[in-house]
Amino acid sequence: MARDQVVRVAELSRLFGDKIAVDRVSFDIARSEVFGFLGPNGAGKTTTIKMLTTLLPPSSGRATVLGYDLKTEGRKIRAQIGVVQQQDSFDQGLNVETSMDLYGLIWNVPKAERRRRIDELIGHFEMQEFRKMPTVDLSAGQRRRLQVAREFIHDMDLLFLDEPTVGLDPIVRRSVLDYLKERVQQGLTIFFTTHILEEAEYLCNRIAVINQGRIVQIDTPENLKRRFGSAKAVEFKLLQGTSSEMASALSSSASVSRFGRDEGSGAYRVTTTRPESVIPEIYRLADRLNLTVSSIYISETTLEDAFINLVTEDEKAVANGGRAS
Amino acid sequence: MNIYLRLVYRNIRANLDRASLFFELIFPLFFIFVQGFGLNGIVPPFDVGNGRVISYSLFLAAGAVTLTVINGGTNAGTQLWFDRKNGMFEQLLMGPFTRAQYILSIIFATLIIGVAGSLLVFGFAFPVLGASFAPTWEGALLIAGALFLGTMFFGAFAIALSVVLKSSETFQIVSTFAFFIFLFTSSVFFPASSAPSAIQVASLANPLTYTTDIFRAGLFNAVTPTVSLELGILAIEAAVMFVIAVIAFRRIRV
Repeated sequence: MARDQVVRVAELSRLFGDKIAVDRVSFDIARSEVFGFLGPNGAGKTTTIKMLTTLLPPSSGRATVLGYDLKTEGRKIRAQIGVVQQQDSFDQGLNVETSMDLYGLIWNVPKAERRRRIDELIGHFEMQEFRKMPTVDLSAGQRRRLQVAREFIHDMDLLFLDEPTVGLDPIVRRSVLDYLKERVQQGLTIFFTTHILEEAEYLCNRIAVINQGRIVQIDTPENLKRRFGSAKAVEFKLLQGTSSEMASALSSSASVSRFGRDEGSGAYRVTTTRPESVIPEIYRLADRLNLTVSSIYISETTLEDAFINLVTEDEKAVANGGRAS
Repeated sequence: MNIYLRLVYRNIRANLDRASLFFELIFPLFFIFVQGFGLNGIVPPFDVGNGRVISYSLFLAAGAVTLTVINGGTNAGTQLWFDRKNGMFEQLLMGPFTRAQYILSIIFATLIIGVAGSLLVFGFAFPVLGASFAPTWEGALLIAGALFLGTMFFGAFAIALSVVLKSSETFQIVSTFAFFIFLFTSSVFFPASSAPSAIQVASLANPLTYTTDIFRAGLFNAVTPTVSLELGILAIEAAVMFVIAVIAFRRIRV
């Protein structure tokens, strides 16, 4: 193993019958790195995690995790990793505290240490108010918090997090992400999947974008935005709120690559490579339709823009049979 | 702590449905104290082997104790179902355990539940059984062997069922129906030899028949030359079902 490479993956594939779920993916993850794995639904993220955690055998390719061979040393790998699955996982007959304690027990954590860690984790993850509540009675968000917190009851060198913040409110989500950052500073390596791109940007050192089983790009969040987020977003609001005519006209405009409306803020969002021609067009349309533009500005390119561009371009390449093999 | 002890403790602690267990223990007691005494007046005492003549209430009480091995078996399937339904199956397999350790821990937990349940029911039934209980070393070994192999068979059977069936509701219905068939084609309620010929044939393949016969032979010191043959058949059936359960278990898609 290269000194600081915790995960080394080369040409790893997984087939389910004729369907290729993961197609010859290759990447390395360094110690204390947070490696983001982003992709649309069904892109192959969870299958990759299942292979790297030894739950699923790969169909082909090679990988080492923490220096151990994926195919022959699965048990040694599992002894040093933690996994928070995308799906719920909980013991239904127990309360939160007992559930954490029992999980620590099966990982052979000494009793006194379990007690100490449970108190610490319950504090960190703000679970005091439901620490005695049966796991079956928890809300989805509370259960998710338990699932993430529980994994820290045992020691590990590498943690796989498969959409760990689904169902969490923004405040708890931020505190979970901050806790993860703290653990990374102490030496933990994290493999992280999410659909919330802001948190990927907040947490990840590098990001791999995967689509239809293939890795499309790997780079830092900043580089991905710079390289693939060339389009700008023009956001504007109408004094009148909404206008279907305006929406229809902008959607069909040649200068607009994407058009949408944020239901929360009520702002229209236009993605374009030519904001200098789109802005006058918005004002022209507003005049013609007797509408008033109450605010308008050009926003910075986000990771989401880069992600969507990457995936959209890849989809086009696949459709045209032009994807590199 | 040993890896199996940790997993077995976890299986019992996390997945044991106390309410179901309560009713599973109460159920045999109704046979012993209600049906047994109810029918005692109209069923004359009969020979269970080796010249041992016992009353129907005693006969049924011994059968009802072995009924708990079926309950233990149901628990094995339920443990696996709970873990699959609640995502703990995958979670544990991504932990420092092997599939073999996980399934063996379910079997061990089932054996503990089945044997402990039998002993508990036996304890409750002691006022009925105690008078005719003829303890010998040979009898104790037969009782232990019957309970162990019976629980092993039905535990493995329930695990195989829970793997094959796609929903927990279907599992509950099918396992209840299957165990109902096992129960009424065995010698729990009546000697198989006195049943209609179709049931007699079915009882020869039924592991619960052998579990019950061996248990009674050990309990009432009614050992006949056929008991060792029955023990052999039960051991083979338990081993075959265990292999089937392991093969089915290995095919669970994650």
